[in-house]
Amino acid sequence: MASNVVSAMSRGIAGCHTCGLAVQMPDNTEVECPRCGAELHYRKHDSINRAWAFLIAAFIMYIPANTEPMMRTTSLGNTSADTIMGGVIYFLSHGDWPLALVIFAASVMLPLLKMIAIAYILILTQRASSERRIERTNLYKIAEILGKWSMLDIFVVGLMAGLVQLGALTTIAPGPACIAFAGVVILTMFAEMAFDPKLIWDKME
Amino acid sequence: MDQKQIRFVCHECDALQMVPAVEPGHDANCIRCKSRLFRNPRGGIDKPLAFLIASMFMFVIANVMPIMTLTIVGVKLRTTITGAAYIFYQQGSPELAAIVWLPSVFIPGVIILSLFYVLFSIRFQMNWRYTKPILVLTGRLLPWGMMDVFMLGILVSIVKLVGLADVVIGTGFYAFAFLVVLYASTIASLETHTLWECLTEQQGSPMEPTNG
Repeated sequence: MASNVVSAMSRGIAGCHTCGLAVQMPDNTEVECPRCGAELHYRKHDSINRAWAFLIAAFIMYIPANTEPMMRTTSLGNTSADTIMGGVIYFLSHGDWPLALVIFAASVMLPLLKMIAIAYILILTQRASSERRIERTNLYKIAEILGKWSMLDIFVVGLMAGLVQLGALTTIAPGPACIAFAGVVILTMFAEMAFDPKLIWDKME
Repeated sequence: MDQKQIRFVCHECDALQMVPAVEPGHDANCIRCKSRLFRNPRGGIDKPLAFLIASMFMFVIANVMPIMTLTIVGVKLRTTITGAAYIFYQQGSPELAAIVWLPSVFIPGVIILSLFYVLFSIRFQMNWRYTKPILVLTGRLLPWGMMDVFMLGILVSIVKLVGLADVVIGTGFYAFAFLVVLYASTIASLETHTLWECLTEQQGSPMEPTNG
């Protein structure tokens, strides 16, 4: 049954990326959606190159995000700097393993898995592979939904720095890893948005 | 019951298909990649609108009341989310303050207001002028609203701060927790496809020729 399915592009129809309307495309390419006014195109423009660019930038940012300190705590003249893993180890050593697990999953594993997932999807798409198309589509959707949870640690630092700052004896300041980490999250979101999942299914007919 | 079919292009795999009308509470799925094409949520537009109005009230409370009170060696500190972000800003990291404040306060606020404009306009057939561009804008903003992640962030911060200070949870915290649930319910009961269909019916936008 599935082999009889045709892509909308092969029939000159584009599904609007913004409102979903199926539009019969005229020959000249630049058209606006008659329903929502967004620009219509069969596939996102330069999708794979743009996705790779964002992804590589995210990979680079991932390194300082993990090696640099996330937070500096100054208490009675003593300053301690914590990296993400430092925080995870701190909670583990205090027997707080559920929290350690949450931070480890959201801050270390999730961004890495999302970047690997997008890279995997991109490579197979570039090879025009016909393998595991449904699984890759699902992987893309999961990456899309879960990515934002990596912002967790940045929010934690932001809250703690904001809340504790007023007390003169203890201050909490953000470290350089914060901006790198936010960069990882935002750049992977851009990479995922730049990629067009429809490319997974092209070159089938 | 008329078996009205609509021509639909799957967002995920571009499969062209005719989709029959879906009963309330059911989904239409792609014949090729099995992704959900659209839903027909029970409760139509009334349900998300009700959740949204509740969210608006809760949003105000959550952002005006302090989320927690800290006591460090006799010094009492209490702040709202925006207050915490503002201190972050004063500390000399305006970009980090923005990264914290935009997805937790500003963008969700804009989404809630925009959705109210759109849903109210459609539900009461107001035909407000900016309904379409605002609906487009809302769709673009949705992935950047991260109140649910922020909620988890508040919980983690509380656990971390317990070691440093006496922590008393404030009204803002409870309001924010309710807000996250109400907002998630709004989004879950909302289907953009239905909104666009309603808008087309009401405003009679020029549709493309249906031959093909």
